[in-house]
Amino acid sequence: MSDTMDTLPAGYRGENGLEMVRAESIVKRFGDLTVLNGVDLSVKRGQVVVIIGPSGSGKTTMLRCINHLEKIDDGRIYIDGELMGYRIVNGKPVEDREANIARIRAQIGFVFQRFNLFPHMTALENIIEAPIHVLHEPKNVVVERAHSLLAKVGLAEKANAFPHKLSGGQQQRVAIARALAMNPKLMLFDEATSALDPELVGEVLKVMRQLAEEGMTMVVVTHEMGFARDVADHVIFMDKAVIVEQGTPEQVFDHCENERTRNFLGMIK
Amino acid sequence: MFRWDLVWQYLLLQDPDKLFLSALWTTVWISVLAQFIGVVLGLFLALMRMSRYPFLTWPARAYIWFFRGSPLLVQVLLLWDGLPRVLNNPNLLLPAWACVVVAFSLNEGAYMSEIVRAGITSVDAGQMEAAKSLGMRFSLAMRRIILPQAARVIIPPLGNEFNNMLKTTSIASVIGLVELTGTAENYGAISFSIFELLIVSTVYYLLLTTIWGYIQGWIENRLDPNRKLKTEINQKSFANRMLGFGTSKTGGAGTLASGR
Repeated sequence: MSDTMDTLPAGYRGENGLEMVRAESIVKRFGDLTVLNGVDLSVKRGQVVVIIGPSGSGKTTMLRCINHLEKIDDGRIYIDGELMGYRIVNGKPVEDREANIARIRAQIGFVFQRFNLFPHMTALENIIEAPIHVLHEPKNVVVERAHSLLAKVGLAEKANAFPHKLSGGQQQRVAIARALAMNPKLMLFDEATSALDPELVGEVLKVMRQLAEEGMTMVVVTHEMGFARDVADHVIFMDKAVIVEQGTPEQVFDHCENERTRNFLGMIK
Repeated sequence: MFRWDLVWQYLLLQDPDKLFLSALWTTVWISVLAQFIGVVLGLFLALMRMSRYPFLTWPARAYIWFFRGSPLLVQVLLLWDGLPRVLNNPNLLLPAWACVVVAFSLNEGAYMSEIVRAGITSVDAGQMEAAKSLGMRFSLAMRRIILPQAARVIIPPLGNEFNNMLKTTSIASVIGLVELTGTAENYGAISFSIFELLIVSTVYYLLLTTIWGYIQGWIENRLDPNRKLKTEINQKSFANRMLGFGTSKTGGAGTLASGR
């Protein structure tokens, strides 16, 4: 860990205490296509940051880079002060050891658009899998926690149901419980409601809202503008691989200065 | 004159030495051992083949290319006669059973690797991402998340591979191993009753593959995610049948049910 600490930029531990996520000029390319072109991001402990923007703007890729599901071509990402995905060798970033990446990922919950529950396991088994096999916690402790998490997301009755017996909204709530079972210090939501039927969106947003109220640090990529306005501490509007505008919900939604933001918000309404 | 009495005698193990009992056993253990090693080899070859590192993919490709591209009989003979000569060391003369098991395993590994690869590829990429996002390392994710799901796709062709393996063991007779075919040839030649004994061994092959068919059906049924549902339907239709209402199809054991 000491090697990553040495590379922290001066003044990193600033007035707001340790940042949970700090991304510095992230560049990501898929072949010739640049999907992130120098994106900076700062998420403080307990903050809810919502990223909005049109399809293909790079917001999902940004989220995936944070827990290193995507490699980055340039820039640095720090999770709670640790360099994510890379270590510095002779001044150059080299991809980190798998064990180290996995260790940091275990502290970050990720909720996918398509849920990605494990279909061969019940809801309960989905939730206890990683705490038992990654954190090596005793099973009875984990099962107890899993039951209370299922109750929290309103699915106490569904512990023994397999994913294919659950609705999309229920599956996504199990997926959130699965991520929370790791006691993450950061939660990332990648369009968590985009694959749901309209009538099922509310139940998932309710859980996310509750998490935010409890003080969970969250980065949320979404198309739900109402949620962004109500829950976000900070809203980021991305378009064409860059951050176009950011600020409080009022600043971005009511007093946006950029024409692209205005056009996008106009289309959504 | 064709002697049916000999056929029955050997088939029902009425001969003093119970020749076909030990032959049957040899065939079974060679098949099981070679298939098992083949599956393990196939798993590692598949993972090598799918790796993003060329120093892993290319040896795997070359291996598969060689073992799928040349006859098994030739591979057996190369191990049996060829190895000591090529290396000019007569001590390397392996016993027949070892040659057979090694050659069958290596050959089977090549075929299994393609089956395992298809199975792993069939699992949605989101599953690996979800596992990684929970802090799992590749090996743990493979073992707990990916392979159990891939098994549904791997098991049916694996069953067919084992069916093949049971019959392929007859190649072992060429280098003098007395399994089912070897027994028929050896003792048939002595007593001038080779066709009688070949018929006996054929019946035993059929017995083995039939039993395996039932086991395969049972395994595939167990892997079926809709098993519970199906069982309910089957029970209902059984009751219906007993009460004399129409008939319904039941997916009983022994059918080559698709693995999903």
